[in-house]
Amino acid sequence: MSNSAKNAPGSFPASSPGANRALAVGIVGIVATAGGLLLPNNTHAVAHSWLVGVTFWVAITIGMLLMTMIHHIFDASWSTVIRRQWEHGLAAFPWLAVLFLPLVLATWFGPRDLIWPWMNPEHVLHGHGTVANDILYVKKSSFLSINMFMGATAIFFTVWIWLSARLRKASFTQDSDGDLKWTRMNRVTAAFGIPLAALSLTFAAIYWIKSLEYHWFSTMYGVWFFANCVRGALAISVLIMLWLYVRGDYKGILNTNHLHSIGQLMLAFTVFWAYVTFSQYFLIWNANVPEETFWYNLREINADGSPNQWKYVGIFVLVFGHFLVPFLYLLSYKHKIVHSKIKFIAIWMPCVIFFDLCYNILPALKNEHGDALPLVSVNFIWTITAVIGVGGIWLYAYLKSLPTAKLIPIRDPRINESLLHHE
Amino acid sequence: MAAQPHGLIATFETAPEVYHAAEKVRDAGYKFWDCITPFPIHGLDKAMGVKRSNVPKFSLTGGIIGFCTGMSMIWFMNAFDYPLVVGGKPYFSPMFAFPVSYELTILFCAFATIGGMFFLNRLPMHYHPVLKHDTIHRGMDDQFFIVIETRDPKFDAARTRALLEKAGGKDIKELEA
Amino acid sequence: MATSADHAAPAILNEVNPPELPRAVLVENNRSFTWITDKICGIIEGKTPAWWWVCFIVACFVASFTVAGITYLVATGVGVWGHANPVNWAWDIVNFVFWIGIGHAGTLISAILCLLRQKWRTSINRAAEAMTIFAVVCAGIFPVFHVGRVWFAWYLFPIPNSNYVWQNFRSPLEWDVFAVSTYGTVSVLFWYVGLIPDLATLRDRFMAAGNKLRATIYGFFAMGWRGSNRHWSNYEMAYLILAGISTPLVLSVHTIVSFDFAVSLIPGWHTTIFPPYFVAGAIFSGFGMVLTLMLPLRAIYKLEDLITQYHIDCMCKITLATGTMVGYAYAMEFFIAWYGANPYEGFAFINRAFGPYAWAYWTMITCNVITPQFFWFKKVRQNTALVWILSIFVNVGMWFERFVIIVTSLARDFLPSSWGYYSPSIVEIFTFFGTFGVFSVLFLLFIRFLPIMPMAELKAVTPQADVHGGENHH
Repeated sequence: MSNSAKNAPGSFPASSPGANRALAVGIVGIVATAGGLLLPNNTHAVAHSWLVGVTFWVAITIGMLLMTMIHHIFDASWSTVIRRQWEHGLAAFPWLAVLFLPLVLATWFGPRDLIWPWMNPEHVLHGHGTVANDILYVKKSSFLSINMFMGATAIFFTVWIWLSARLRKASFTQDSDGDLKWTRMNRVTAAFGIPLAALSLTFAAIYWIKSLEYHWFSTMYGVWFFANCVRGALAISVLIMLWLYVRGDYKGILNTNHLHSIGQLMLAFTVFWAYVTFSQYFLIWNANVPEETFWYNLREINADGSPNQWKYVGIFVLVFGHFLVPFLYLLSYKHKIVHSKIKFIAIWMPCVIFFDLCYNILPALKNEHGDALPLVSVNFIWTITAVIGVGGIWLYAYLKSLPTAKLIPIRDPRINESLLHHE
Repeated sequence: MAAQPHGLIATFETAPEVYHAAEKVRDAGYKFWDCITPFPIHGLDKAMGVKRSNVPKFSLTGGIIGFCTGMSMIWFMNAFDYPLVVGGKPYFSPMFAFPVSYELTILFCAFATIGGMFFLNRLPMHYHPVLKHDTIHRGMDDQFFIVIETRDPKFDAARTRALLEKAGGKDIKELEA
Repeated sequence: MATSADHAAPAILNEVNPPELPRAVLVENNRSFTWITDKICGIIEGKTPAWWWVCFIVACFVASFTVAGITYLVATGVGVWGHANPVNWAWDIVNFVFWIGIGHAGTLISAILCLLRQKWRTSINRAAEAMTIFAVVCAGIFPVFHVGRVWFAWYLFPIPNSNYVWQNFRSPLEWDVFAVSTYGTVSVLFWYVGLIPDLATLRDRFMAAGNKLRATIYGFFAMGWRGSNRHWSNYEMAYLILAGISTPLVLSVHTIVSFDFAVSLIPGWHTTIFPPYFVAGAIFSGFGMVLTLMLPLRAIYKLEDLITQYHIDCMCKITLATGTMVGYAYAMEFFIAWYGANPYEGFAFINRAFGPYAWAYWTMITCNVITPQFFWFKKVRQNTALVWILSIFVNVGMWFERFVIIVTSLARDFLPSSWGYYSPSIVEIFTFFGTFGVFSVLFLLFIRFLPIMPMAELKAVTPQADVHGGENHH
């Protein structure tokens, strides 16, 4: 056991050796992903992989932002000890903005249709002529323009970084002065921050992911992204807390009821994700209109009608892995409170969220017949290295932030209730 | 046989009193005993040593049966017994069968939950010795009782009474069976 | 082991010294258990007040409009309603969705707030659940009579019949049958389970007061409940599970109601956000209705200690939150209608906002998106009369939402030559107007004969119910 237990709830040891290791992992991941560029004709695959990596961690950080604000708006008590870790996670937003930059720069200076085909009017659509001639593009060109995209992305990150900074500052300052005005300020931030975050994450999902296939539309898309954000944040925060517990820092802080409550939320959002995803699929399946179904067809069959890999990803990874396994697993009380058991599902969930993002992003990579490239191929290496690379940087940001504040918000008015949390 | 009373009942005025008394009775090793409270007291289960309820098992069974009923019913009716082409849809698909199966899952689960609760509680039971106690109506209002039954192997009229007294019970009476 | 240190008070508690920010009390003035019992049972045991009779007679009179409307319809045929091509669905389904939506807040308060451990639900959940059941009754009237020959309504259920044909399970209307009947059944069960301990209280009080007849009736339904803690243990688990399954149930019911529209191809109906959007709207309208009902009750029965300003605040905030979600959905629909670049879809939305039904559209926007924004202000939330008026606007707005969705899309769809304009007939207006009477009659009977608040649950949230009281502070 580390000696930090006796420091609790004081400062976290200033030197967290993990930070440098995380940074190293991040750099290795990024370099490995960049190495993919050396292969011939591989730029598209690497760029899409990078998009998966960045959106995955952006989703988790947005989830933490939302959870922090939801905590404040409900005046919740039990989640106070967890909230501090969410606040540390928010430190990753500026880094994620930097990591998003390569995509921006590459499309700006490099091939316009590197990722989003509509950015290049000359882009040849499969059997349709070019983007510029496509009536469906012309109709939405005022929204899907490079300037709008870049401006909107800048606004998204600004909003997230600004909200995070407000929440972090108020919470950290309260540690030293115990002033209730910070609690009230956070409630105000949450009240206007939640609608702002909801809108920004919706449009981020539309611009970054949905517009990959710009013919397709679904009003549910933002809600789908929201569900993944929150689930990812919950799972990662469970892992963080268990890690802090093993280190000894959270001994005497984290109790089974915290885990039970957060497990309940994981269960609830698993159901919510399934609800949203099923509704979207079901309505499109049932109405059976080609202008919508093509998006799912791309993920089920090739042009010649044979099933492709994504069909099995959809069935096994999404239906079973993303919904049924966590749902049935989390029904049990024991699986929510025993550390090793909840750890399993907390690792499982980010993995399936990763596959969900792959399912939404990667089929945009097509071969000459217009069929989606399979998931399991050389390209998958870059997807994994991208997630690890961005993850390393995320962890670095988190670990760098960790020693800058108390381990738990010791002067939060609800901290006592949180420490004594019982059902 | 007729002389054998149902048990001893002791009255408590506040929730913390009955809570601490329950801990003492539990530690004395009694099995057939109970607390009568006007509302569920938080933590009393632990103080009494009552295990986590078994109702969820009934619910889960009910839910699974409901889901299977829904799926098989729809397959039987629309694909087997009277196949009918509607809207170019397949005769059977788990997609369109899902909403109804889902509702039946919940319906059966609800019935199983309530049935399981009644079964585990052995209710309805309109006659019970406890209900004949003079001030039992206060037990549904603002008072708390502990009942220790004579069928408990550790029951001993004098010693059990002493235990209840020591635990702070007032107005200790015998309950006729 | 994970659980080893869990029950010891954390050592660091000595080091934290947070400022005090008291939580709102849920029962004001530190009332005793007996006070709560007397207060709530007193409503049932006391003499029937004069206002109750007045309201009851008025409600019966209003309800007679529904009876008259339906009788005329059954005697004549479904043509007495104003439906005609192209608008073959109109007030019947608008009213159905309207009432079902109102019902959802009851389940929401009981179930979702129970799962979220929002203790403030206790003083309003009983009445809200009753509201659910009565709203489902009102909702059921419309589809059942819209089938025309109502004596064949049992064809909706998979009962073997002489035609040897089964129901079409590919139809969302058949899903509705299962959804709504499950919803009604589970709501009644949930409500009844919640009532059992309180019925036992009433049984014992009537027994003590010597009223044998009423003691027997309440006693019969109390199932011999005797407050045993071993029973409470199973009971609480069962209640929690019922809450747990009611939550997905309430979501699924309105989801399936939204499927009635969304699985079709009509512009303005076929949109993937419909399920959560309908659910948010249902919760929104339901909270509006809870406020409309509870605020007068609170004033009449002087329940200010049990339904406190904090409760009203919470309800207003939920109304605000769900109203804003509904606003998000309106915006998203409009945006995607444009983004989807489908001319019919785009037209449907332009037509809603600027076509012949623009008056209904803007009524909807005003009531549903703008009205709740007043709840940002504490001053507004503290003004009970104003909250009540705003809650009426919410009810009106949500009725118009369904009207807008259903009628505008049907009145002008793909083929301009078959466009039309729908207006309700007097029979429809009578039938709908009367359902408010049906609802009121049932609700008045409820407040007269059943405990309007869950006494056991209220007692459990008072400070004197906490067995650890005082132990936390050493």
